[in-house]
Amino acid sequence: MARNGTKTKAEGGTSQKGWFDWLGDKLDQWVDWLATTKPFAFIAGRILVPYWAWRTPVKRLEGGPRPSVQPGDNVQRMMNLVMPLKDKSAVGRALAALAIAQNKDEIYAGLDNVGTVHFARFVIVDDNICMFSVYDGDFSNYIRDFIVTIGSVFDAVVELVEGGEDVIPSAKHVEKFIDWVHDHDIYQVSDVATDILRDQEEANGDAGAGNDDLRLLPRKLILQLNVNRNVSLGSGYRAYPGYSAAQVRQQFGVGW
Amino acid sequence: MSCKFNPADVQGNILRGYRKPRVRYLMLEISDRAAARRWLTAATSGTGGVPQIATESGQRWATKPDTCFNIGLTFEGLRALGTPAASLATFPTEFVQGMNKRAIKLGDAGPSAPENWEQPFNEPARVHLIASIYADDVAQLDRVQHDAVGGQQAFKLLRVRDGWCFDGDYVHFNYQDNISQPRFAEIHDRDSFSDSQPMAPLGTALLGYPTNFEGLKWRIPEPEPLGYNGSFNAFRVLEQDVVGFEEYLTAAATELLEHPKVNELLPPGAEANIQVKEGQRLPRHDALREVIAAAMCGRWRNGVPLALSPDTPNPSPDVSRTKFDYTNFDDDGAARCPYGAHIRRCNPRGGQIVQRVANHSRRLVRRGMPYGPAYVHDPAKPRDPNEPKRGLLGNFIGANLGAQFEAMSCDWLNLGLQDPRITGSNDPLLGANEPETSWFDLPLKSGAPIRLRGLPRFVTTKGGAYTFLPSMAAIRYLGSLTG
Repeated sequence: MARNGTKTKAEGGTSQKGWFDWLGDKLDQWVDWLATTKPFAFIAGRILVPYWAWRTPVKRLEGGPRPSVQPGDNVQRMMNLVMPLKDKSAVGRALAALAIAQNKDEIYAGLDNVGTVHFARFVIVDDNICMFSVYDGDFSNYIRDFIVTIGSVFDAVVELVEGGEDVIPSAKHVEKFIDWVHDHDIYQVSDVATDILRDQEEANGDAGAGNDDLRLLPRKLILQLNVNRNVSLGSGYRAYPGYSAAQVRQQFGVGW
Repeated sequence: MSCKFNPADVQGNILRGYRKPRVRYLMLEISDRAAARRWLTAATSGTGGVPQIATESGQRWATKPDTCFNIGLTFEGLRALGTPAASLATFPTEFVQGMNKRAIKLGDAGPSAPENWEQPFNEPARVHLIASIYADDVAQLDRVQHDAVGGQQAFKLLRVRDGWCFDGDYVHFNYQDNISQPRFAEIHDRDSFSDSQPMAPLGTALLGYPTNFEGLKWRIPEPEPLGYNGSFNAFRVLEQDVVGFEEYLTAAATELLEHPKVNELLPPGAEANIQVKEGQRLPRHDALREVIAAAMCGRWRNGVPLALSPDTPNPSPDVSRTKFDYTNFDDDGAARCPYGAHIRRCNPRGGQIVQRVANHSRRLVRRGMPYGPAYVHDPAKPRDPNEPKRGLLGNFIGANLGAQFEAMSCDWLNLGLQDPRITGSNDPLLGANEPETSWFDLPLKSGAPIRLRGLPRFVTTKGGAYTFLPSMAAIRYLGSLTG
């Protein structure tokens, strides 16, 4: 009661804090400090979170950019594929590096023909082969056009990934392949903090619930990151937002 | 299973239109699974009083039947029939999720959002089967409806919707429609109209055949009798603001009259070339209205394509309505048909597009009929607040909803990704437009176009569902399910 200061002010006409406030502040500091100690971090990470996760199961959120009808949101969309390699050794990583290197020219030529891709890179992070790209328009259309142009080449990469054998050759498993790729596209935490609550409500078939209790946010974020281990933080920076790859090419006169 | 084409296994409304003046849709909820299965079996042979499902023949009708009856099933419908889970898992994601869940991809936001859809599409879990009846008159529709769902236990009739053709295939907004469709080598009518587009492989519309993408086949739902020769349909109830459309043309024409480059768009005296009724000369403002209407569609309202006749709806000699492409330019390189025109956005034919592999790949079979009375524009008459509801009951059919209907809707109809000159704008007729941000370019021969702004949303989605159009073998399979 006295801690917010208003009561004190009303009573004594001064803003001096009493000993009760002092104790409260000290307690807050102690709790904050406690969270930084090794034993507590261990308890939180290894006991508390698994217990929470067991008590409140959280669904894995879908990857990729958030659906939007705004034209500006539908260009320069980020795809962050994280694909765990079957062979989790230096040999496995080398095989992945070679699969990209051997097919690089064809993959780049294919991306050129897809027409809607700004950038694409292949990266090995730990035991994952990752493809990070920036594309325009609908995800399914991007991947479908990708299959049509260079599916057979990309199959050599997918073959090295856990579960990849079920979706290749991609030309024979178009729908499955698109769903599989979508499944490996990591969740993009929204730029608006409370949107993660909306995403969770949507995943639980509870759209429109609109519970914006911000005190729940850290706990909910922890539980989500417990399920979605890899995420993109925000949708990323854009130097020239709102323009498609073809518009940039046209502007520079390099053909589209 | 052999991929040899057996027309008698395919429902009759997929590969060609019946060209009947009336249609009725029955939206049905399965209330008794066993009875619904018996009904399906009966519908394959037309026994027990249930109307027989019309099939393709591949040949010209010897005598055209009075009525044609067909069905489509939603994913919820397949579930309600007790289709095994292993089989349901072989259907494509977009069909499993249903049209409501795919709303953002289709531009169904704001007033078009599914939460604003009309009954029964506001309760998608209850829409199981959509039956269509094509006929010459209402008495025939009533009779077939009675035979199909009168006094039976299988279904609850959720809603009935009727559509009918106006004279000469005109639809609301007063355009001639139903002009160009994919042509199939296997169907007799392929030669009845010429078209510069390549013949559509059967896999454009049917599951189990080569598609527009070489070497690529769509997944066929299992088991085989269920999937082969089936198709998918996006059924849409699209409300059209006919008054708003004509008001926009009037306002835009008024604005154009003041535009410094208007004489380039319509040279003085050229209004004589724009005749709506024979022998009637339009005032300049009214002629400009027609120029704008033609640019927005890509065809003059009488169906003449701008690609072949950019200056007049009455070319002499007459031109084909279907045999044209966007690969031809005038000598000065100007586009005859605006890049953002409705028919060009939705089907860029052989024209240059960003997605180089996608030409001809997103084609759809379209079967639509208007609802509500024909509207006659009278500029002297103020907007009637009780104007009857008007629109289109549309079927957008293809073997792959994701690769055709959705791909066309989300990147081309809206967004305009196929051409950098229109990217960021939506379809002027059907797009999810907001007056604050919308624009549409009228090309000029001298270069920089005239940009029209302030287009509102003329078409609002009022409902719809993704349905599977099963083959006759599939209907027999579903009828024979047990448990």
